[in-house]
Amino acid sequence: MIKDFFLLAAQSIIHRKLRSWLTVIGVFIGVTAVVALISIGLGLDRTIKDQVAKIFGVDTFMLLHEGAFGPQSHPGGDMDEYTLDLDYLRSIDGVRIAAAVREQTGFVQGPPGVDGQSIQGFLPVMGLSPELTTEFKSFLGSLEVQPGGRLFEESGEPVAVLGEAVAERLQASVGSTILVGGDTDLEQSLTVVGILSPAEDGGSAEDSTFSAGVGPSPDTIYVPFEIMDSLWGKDENVLVTLVRTEPGEDVEKVADRVETAVRARGAEVSAVTYNDISDAIGTMTSTVSAFLAGIAGISLLVGGVGVMNTMFTSVLERTKEIGVMKAVGAKNSHVLLIFLTESGLMGLVGGIVGTLLGLGLSAVASMFIGRFFNVDLVVVASPTLIIITLLGSFLIGAIAGLWPARRASKLSVVDALRYE
Amino acid sequence: MPLLGLKEITKDYMLGKTVVHALRGLDLRIDEGETVAIMGPSGSGKSTLMHILGVLDIPSKGSAFFAGKDLKQLAEHQLVSLRGKKIGFVFQTFNLIPTLSAQQNVELPMIFQGTRKTVRTKRARDLLSMVGLADRVRHKPNELSGGERQRVAVARALANDPAIILADEPTGNLDTESGKPILDMLKRLSRDGGKTVIIVTHDPDAAAIADRIVRLRDGRVVQEA
Repeated sequence: MIKDFFLLAAQSIIHRKLRSWLTVIGVFIGVTAVVALISIGLGLDRTIKDQVAKIFGVDTFMLLHEGAFGPQSHPGGDMDEYTLDLDYLRSIDGVRIAAAVREQTGFVQGPPGVDGQSIQGFLPVMGLSPELTTEFKSFLGSLEVQPGGRLFEESGEPVAVLGEAVAERLQASVGSTILVGGDTDLEQSLTVVGILSPAEDGGSAEDSTFSAGVGPSPDTIYVPFEIMDSLWGKDENVLVTLVRTEPGEDVEKVADRVETAVRARGAEVSAVTYNDISDAIGTMTSTVSAFLAGIAGISLLVGGVGVMNTMFTSVLERTKEIGVMKAVGAKNSHVLLIFLTESGLMGLVGGIVGTLLGLGLSAVASMFIGRFFNVDLVVVASPTLIIITLLGSFLIGAIAGLWPARRASKLSVVDALRYE
Repeated sequence: MPLLGLKEITKDYMLGKTVVHALRGLDLRIDEGETVAIMGPSGSGKSTLMHILGVLDIPSKGSAFFAGKDLKQLAEHQLVSLRGKKIGFVFQTFNLIPTLSAQQNVELPMIFQGTRKTVRTKRARDLLSMVGLADRVRHKPNELSGGERQRVAVARALANDPAIILADEPTGNLDTESGKPILDMLKRLSRDGGKTVIIVTHDPDAAAIADRIVRLRDGRVVQEA
């Protein structure tokens, strides 16, 4: 019988083509907006998470200074530093590789020039565990040296890699020796083994997003991590530590274990896993898209009111028809169902059109946003979203039709038949 | 036992703020298989009587019996069911559903009774052929002439094989030529089909097919012949 009512409702909708279409337009504008915004939000979320997973790897976690990550953190500010015994960290169960980044400002003296004078100045010196360039390549972004040079391989090597601006300023090239001064009277001669290639314009912008400010910089001198020890003391001023777990270990558990262990030794760090990051991103993107979709939802509400209006008009204009249906044996519940089906169907058609348009719109918008920010934005057509939208729009229609349909079903037969 | 029995029926209804005394103590008895014409001037209570005979409305006072059952004792859903199964209506203005084809219009009463699709389709087609519209099954009401529309309405009235056909001015909107087949059909339904046919009419031609004419005036039966 429901099938018959669907047919009756569909015929009635088709019969009132113009009005039905206008009503449906009212619904699908809202649905389009909601679907498009949520889809873009989902796409953004997926894109960012994919990037994080690619750069970071799901078997890896970071040690950052307490409070450097999470709601209390202040993005854009300088990273807080902490003290960390890297050797102890490596000895903790489940840790396979640990690599750290530390930074200091050092007094640097370039190689003697043709006139015997050398250029000197205070420059940022960054110590990198060699694993960063071998195991966590993507974390640093495109750290590449110009032809003829290399990156360092051993942690104790007295070598340096120069950002191209530094190299130019110090007039150093591969093979030259520079002198770096650390705390008070400590100093060390380092052989330049490589000069960074200038970063390609824009190309690596997204890659450095998650390198926490330690990406390739033309103004920095890069040295092996242990060289920093000999200049500024052991394991001080660490910015970030990356830890890769043993295969098969639960990253979350190892992260907890490491955090507890190194904190017991006084390091004020917190462990940040892929899940922490993607949760934080998820919270952020879903808050934003829920907010936007909520605003778009208002237009959906307006669409619902449109359906209600159309249904009231329809009930009024079909009063006699309702009387006839009741005279030929329709129960009140039949009349109710016929009108509910009709309004629900209008909602559903609005939902289908809106979903298609919304997905299309989100694909187009993703393309533009992606082009603007120079990222490949994933286009997400979530089946859950589609099903919920279609069900929801049918329900919106049906709910909007409830009041008019009840009024129709309660009409007295005699009054309805007499209605002209 | 009469099929329909009305005793001391009064019916008042509100028209705006004034009370209309449509029926004022009406007695009527209609037996199974009879063809009865109900006649009377405008305002005599014909329509109200038809509503009560058709179980569309209940009397203010008095008792109405349908096949021995007191309608006052029946619950709303039983009245709806009685109306759907036992009574077929033919209206002056045809009252077909404009969005539905002739066949669907005939199927409609069967849909409300939950008749299976295949049974329904066949019966609707049979009924439409019986009223001479076999080639019009897919036509919408606005594609049919007045006489054809009323024939669809007769087919619809017969859909659930009711005991009573209640026709309210069935020829009121038709010319004599197209009205005649309708009256012939109603006569045949009574004579050959064993149906009880009640015709409310002004039209002497329509009254002529009746076994008995009941005349109303001021809400009472003034003459039965």
